[in-house]
Amino acid sequence: MHRLYLLPTLLINVVIILVPAMLTIALAFFRWDGISMPVFIGLGNFHALWADRVFWTALTNNIIWTLLFLTVPIGIGLLAATLLLVARRGSMFFQVIYFLPMIIATAILARVWQGMIYSPVSGVNGMLQRMGFPTLDPLTQPSTALIGIATVDLWHWWGFLCVIFFAALRQVPQEQVEAARIEGASFWQMMRYVLLPGIRPTITLMMIMTVIWSFLVFDFVYILTQGGPAFSSEVLSTLAYRSAFYDLAVGKAAAVAVIISIFGLIATAFYIREQAREFDQ
Amino acid sequence: MTASIVSRAAIALMASTAFTLAAQAEGPISWWYETATPEQQGVITRNIIEPFNASHPGDTLSIDYRGAQLDNQMRVALLSGSGPDIVYTAGPSYVAPMAQAGQLLALDQYAEQFGWNDRILPVFLEMGKYNDQLYALPKTYETLGLFYNATLFEEHGWSVPTTIAELETVADAMLAENIVPFSAGNALWRPTNEHYVTIVFNSIAGPEAVYQALKGEIPWTSEPFVKAIDKLDEWWGKGYFGPNYFSLNGEQQVAQLANGQAGMMPSGTWQFQHINTYFPPANAEAGFVGFPSADDVGEPVFALGVGSTFSIAATSQNPDGAAAAIDFIFSDETYASMNTEWQGEWNTPLKDLSGITLGEGVLPLYAEAMQTLAQSVSEGEYGYTTWTFLPPATVSFLVSGIEEVWLDRTDTVQFLEQLDATFQQELAEGKVPAIPAR
Repeated sequence: MHRLYLLPTLLINVVIILVPAMLTIALAFFRWDGISMPVFIGLGNFHALWADRVFWTALTNNIIWTLLFLTVPIGIGLLAATLLLVARRGSMFFQVIYFLPMIIATAILARVWQGMIYSPVSGVNGMLQRMGFPTLDPLTQPSTALIGIATVDLWHWWGFLCVIFFAALRQVPQEQVEAARIEGASFWQMMRYVLLPGIRPTITLMMIMTVIWSFLVFDFVYILTQGGPAFSSEVLSTLAYRSAFYDLAVGKAAAVAVIISIFGLIATAFYIREQAREFDQ
Repeated sequence: MTASIVSRAAIALMASTAFTLAAQAEGPISWWYETATPEQQGVITRNIIEPFNASHPGDTLSIDYRGAQLDNQMRVALLSGSGPDIVYTAGPSYVAPMAQAGQLLALDQYAEQFGWNDRILPVFLEMGKYNDQLYALPKTYETLGLFYNATLFEEHGWSVPTTIAELETVADAMLAENIVPFSAGNALWRPTNEHYVTIVFNSIAGPEAVYQALKGEIPWTSEPFVKAIDKLDEWWGKGYFGPNYFSLNGEQQVAQLANGQAGMMPSGTWQFQHINTYFPPANAEAGFVGFPSADDVGEPVFALGVGSTFSIAATSQNPDGAAAAIDFIFSDETYASMNTEWQGEWNTPLKDLSGITLGEGVLPLYAEAMQTLAQSVSEGEYGYTTWTFLPPATVSFLVSGIEEVWLDRTDTVQFLEQLDATFQQELAEGKVPAIPAR
């Protein structure tokens, strides 16, 4: 009887996730312009992607993005959360400040950075240029466009991680912290042997979610550069979007979506294995 | 093959049945529109919706602003058999697949009933045809030319260029004085790139070569196109487009031109809507001429562009009302009222503009440019914009591909090879829009 409680969520998942997912997987094997009848072409879309240099650029960019987000915001977030734990005074104020970028709409954040920071006409960048500093708009250079976009996302993201880690750190048993203090542990020893092991499940979850989210990244890239200049900041999701809605190659877009999902599935498999291991312990 | 014929016949039968059943209906007429600011929405309400509803008591025209996602929403809606009565597409390249899928109503009967064949420039009727039947009318047509800061030209004693050599001489003189020759930027709209490709394709390679390539008679790798892209790359390399191309948006281009930081602006007639905003405050006067052509091309070429089209959905419950609404938009009165308040976006392709008087305050430069354009088109003197005549994937590649040429990530030959490969595939799939005969 209690299994009936699963029914509503199961129904929603089937209708909203499973059916579209199955349709997307099926479409990956068709040539379809989104208007006329789809034509079955087997692995044609995947062959086309294999030979498409833009696909490889996009995949590489997603991997760079993942590595960046697995290190920089997690590192900054952990450090700031630990400092909040140590210096309790004002921690509530800083939590609010750090978290603030998360509640502002992505489109607004992106436009603020594009127009008020990076722009050589209306932004801080332009002001520096007029003062004689040889600065450049990072979004306009193939070598820096991806980093320029990642900087905006990192700025908005690390505060969220900090608040999550801070909440987890507060759950670490106080006796362990006190015992370490009495034993004379330094700040780094406290981090290494008490705090980080104490919040390991939270860090693992955030890292796995980071991998999934990194392969789904779309909004900041699309708003700031639309994958340009010269495909230099293209990621898999912008490639899929361009294929579906500009090239009218919905099958190819579905093939890209399937590849994005494979990375998400691998990350999810790791997460489930970790969860199972914790339950066993 | 047989299945294809049967399915086409079935679609045609369904479409004709829908036409007969719905033809007598009166009532609501729905129209989905793209992005419009509150002021622009007010202009549409005042000049189209309210007067149409007042003069057609049996019909109620309503407009729904769907924003930048209009194309995607329209495609999904038509696939599911819903959607508005008036189908507003992003251009002729979208019409062929929709007509092919039986989602649109043939408009030939209405063209006869309302006299569109006499009132609308024939070239635009040709562009809206699929299998010799009319499915779409262009809402507005546009062209590319050369805006310039006339005050700046006068101050420096520069002459308005009429040849490529003169253009380069003036541009080099501007560079020497730290003035950006071409005010340009693609920050908010990357397809801006194709404006410049369109210009060199028509002005350097020539409209005849573009026509032959569009018909599949010569490849895009032919010598005239190599010459054109090489020239565009040369201009980029010399710094004609300035240091901030990837940072500036459309309005900032006009502002830069008005305040004299740039001298010229190769752009489209839609920019006329911003001239009055930026030039008078800068105490400057704007000028507009056709973009100079190569010696072997001759006169400046006005490349024709159609940004959006009107059709009627095959499933419309009130196709007569929808046709009447489209006809109202194509009236002389609507042309005058819309272009008085909103220049550059409502240049409906009427054959004869001589009897139309625009309201006071309309830039004389705009009225002159539009009359010159209408005359050139009616005389068959026009070129081809890439966003109107190239199929979707080819355009999409062109937009990013030209950046690769500019930024030395590829060369002209490789760029044109991939452009040609993409085009030939879409040509074979029947995705190239109707190309009017020259």
